[in-house]
Amino acid sequence: MDCERTGDEGLRADMMDVLYGEADSAARTRVGEHLEGCAACRGEMAALRGVRRDLRAWRVPATRPSFSPRGVYLPRWAAAAALLLIGFGATLGATGYDSLRRSLAAQEARAADLERRHQEEMRALQASIARVPGASFDPATLLAGIDARIDERLRESESRQAGRVDSRLAGWQKQVDAQRRVDMARVAASLSYLDGRHGQQLARTNELMGYVLETSARKR
Amino acid sequence: MGRTDEELVEACQAGEASAFDGLVARWEDRIRGAAFRFLGSEEEARDVAQEAFLKAYRSLAGFKREARFSSWLYQIATNLCRDRLRRRKTRATVSLDEMEETGSVMVETGPGAQDRLLQMDLARTVRRAIESLPDEQREVVILKEYQDLTFLEIAQALDVPVSTVKTRLYRGLGQLRLRLEREGVRGAAPLPAPAP
Repeated sequence: MDCERTGDEGLRADMMDVLYGEADSAARTRVGEHLEGCAACRGEMAALRGVRRDLRAWRVPATRPSFSPRGVYLPRWAAAAALLLIGFGATLGATGYDSLRRSLAAQEARAADLERRHQEEMRALQASIARVPGASFDPATLLAGIDARIDERLRESESRQAGRVDSRLAGWQKQVDAQRRVDMARVAASLSYLDGRHGQQLARTNELMGYVLETSARKR
Repeated sequence: MGRTDEELVEACQAGEASAFDGLVARWEDRIRGAAFRFLGSEEEARDVAQEAFLKAYRSLAGFKREARFSSWLYQIATNLCRDRLRRRKTRATVSLDEMEETGSVMVETGPGAQDRLLQMDLARTVRRAIESLPDEQREVVILKEYQDLTFLEIAQALDVPVSTVKTRLYRGLGQLRLRLEREGVRGAAPLPAPAP
């Protein structure tokens, strides 16, 4: 049997208020009066209460809070990613350390092998020198001889350079002296010229003065 | 006695950042729970709750307190869930069955294994039934049944009239009833009418 007020939105709203305990007294009265005479709506209300009971079966898992004022908790995927990164970093670090250690060991082995070969070559060379009749090999003597030759060459070089410097200085001194003599001659010539002009001027002045005195004497 | 949401919000807006701790402590579990039921994923629910609080914290200065803080927070979380659900449509989603297999579903613990199995089965059926609802009905059912919000709070959170909330809830419960009956869940069957 259907309800005569199936499309009554107001009644449905009142029923929802009653179902969830939000109805005021007027709404409760309206719904109660309707349910008394409507078996369909009574059955529906009972069914909806049953649905509400069933819905409680679904619960939310309790987990850590996702937001904290002191920080943010990582989601599982982020935590997993972080762990992977840490693991990767640790593996990389361990691998890198191991690789470096192996590399150093290899370099050490190569250096030891090189040193050994050099010593062998040195011994072979000494042996070949010793086999030459009358030859003797003394590294200290050899080095001292080389040093003496180097010193001698250095002294010769210094001597040559000093000689070249002295020669240049002497040439330069000659040029300076010659230039000085030329300049002095030019100064002397100029002074003579000036003296000559000054003498002529003086003679002319004396002549004019004589002429003036003579003319003055005649007028008197 | 602790401060109310309004007092904590006012303190935050006045510069007392630590007051937000109280809001988080009070609402974090419920927001995460709502997000879990919307999305069906514990991880995503945690992300959404985290994101919702961050958004709320950043926008708190502009919160005008015309609605309750909880409604505003639920609105943020609901919108975040809607965004995620929209994005899911274009890519693979985490099925409810998958989550159940990973143990994400908690059910009533009974004294015996048989009871627990029955509860797990019922929980699975309920989840599937809720998941089958249209988005609008599912949101209202979740916010009312599992978050215990008032009709007014749900209306504020979803930005719809209260009458719309009640209509959606009524239809949603009706759909759930049919679905559960089809699954053989006894609780949804109408009780015998009381004798007149």
